Amino acid sequence: MKKIQIATLVVFAVLAIAFCLLESGTLSWLQSGLLGVMSPISRSGSAVKSSIGTLGKDLMTLDQLQAEYERVLSENRKLRAENNGLRDLQQDNDHLRQVLGYRERSSFRLVPALVLGHDAGVWWSTIKINRGSADGITPDMPVITDKGLVGKITAVSSNLSEVLLVTDENCKVAAKVEGTKEQGISAGSRDPVGELRLTFLSKLADLQPGQKVYTAGVSGGIFPSGIALGTVKSFHARELDGEAILEPSADLGALEEVFIVTGAK
Amino acid sequence: MRQGILFIILLLLLPISVAVQDLLPAIPPFQGRVQLLPVVFCFGVMALPLVPSLYFALATALVQGLVLLQIQSGQVELGLTVPVVFFLTWAILLQMASEATHGMRWEVHALGSAAVTLTLLGIEFLVLCVKRGGLPLEMTVLLRVVIPSVAALLIAPLLYFALRKLVPVFLEENPLPKKPNFSR
Repeated sequence: MKKIQIATLVVFAVLAIAFCLLESGTLSWLQSGLLGVMSPISRSGSAVKSSIGTLGKDLMTLDQLQAEYERVLSENRKLRAENNGLRDLQQDNDHLRQVLGYRERSSFRLVPALVLGHDAGVWWSTIKINRGSADGITPDMPVITDKGLVGKITAVSSNLSEVLLVTDENCKVAAKVEGTKEQGISAGSRDPVGELRLTFLSKLADLQPGQKVYTAGVSGGIFPSGIALGTVKSFHARELDGEAILEPSADLGALEEVFIVTGAK
Repeated sequence: MRQGILFIILLLLLPISVAVQDLLPAIPPFQGRVQLLPVVFCFGVMALPLVPSLYFALATALVQGLVLLQIQSGQVELGLTVPVVFFLTWAILLQMASEATHGMRWEVHALGSAAVTLTLLGIEFLVLCVKRGGLPLEMTVLLRVVIPSVAALLIAPLLYFALRKLVPVFLEENPLPKKPNFSR
């Protein structure tokens, strides 16, 4: 074996050992760098995918466009009317909260983001979004849609972030069941079936399918209180506690746009 | 020099393959995901000589490890050690397979891609089970390992012939070893 080959093998061995000994801070920094490298590819790929997906939709006749325009216009009027009604309700709600001395916790500062793709990792449920540290995004920020909780930010580069979905086993959320005093911890499962498991409930909890589950907003936690998490599908008592299976509120398989909660208003 | 260019092309293909595999839709049923990185890895380690292929395996391990990196409460769930050991072992095995078949063969590449995908997903799952506890061996888990491996088996020839066409100059077949001549 030539000297140069021995030298390259020694350098290789040193590099391999160094990689194995890297600490979480350095790994996180390297991951951020890799996300930065992948960002332009993911963004342009997502744009191409989106263009291909909408190609058929763009090819509409004038009649179809007119019909679509009228439908959207009518929907817009309906939504405006609903929004006005909700604004009144919000004012009443705010007033009642002030009267009761509760802190207003339902208003968030939101940053909209586009979903670039679902990660191909099989054992982790993560997605990539087109917002990063340049938009003020930091790890552990909650991610939501108008339907409910999506997950939390786990890795950030300048304009790309990774979101750990609520269906991942590692995404644990303190949750409460609507209309009861039941509280528990929700998490996904390793066997990725897209359901949530709400554990540490009372064995005698009287939960019915269809009951809504919301985030509990514990002190020191990252998820604010009152965000829809899921709906009870079934409940069963275990040896020490009760466990409910939940259907996530947000449609995690068809996410296109999400909002990152950057703080309270 | 030519091998250096091939090495750089293959290195660039690593993040591209990760970005592309994220954009691909899940395979119904059971939402299996296509894994392109193992297919590119197999091509790279079979196309390159031993020492560059080891470096390429190290780069693949770095990319795969960082893509899957999850830090929970300051603890790394799956660091770089497992990917480094995994890809180096496979790099050596694939080099041996390449030598045994006297150069690159698309069949070996396809089978290797499927085997690397199968073992990669299996080992990831086992490491998670060790770290988190429990071993939920259910049919959906098995299918989540098997479906991407079958997908890799089918995709590998496409990538093999595409890359072979793109960079034919770098992929000269290893000539068969000369038979010893005993004639005087």
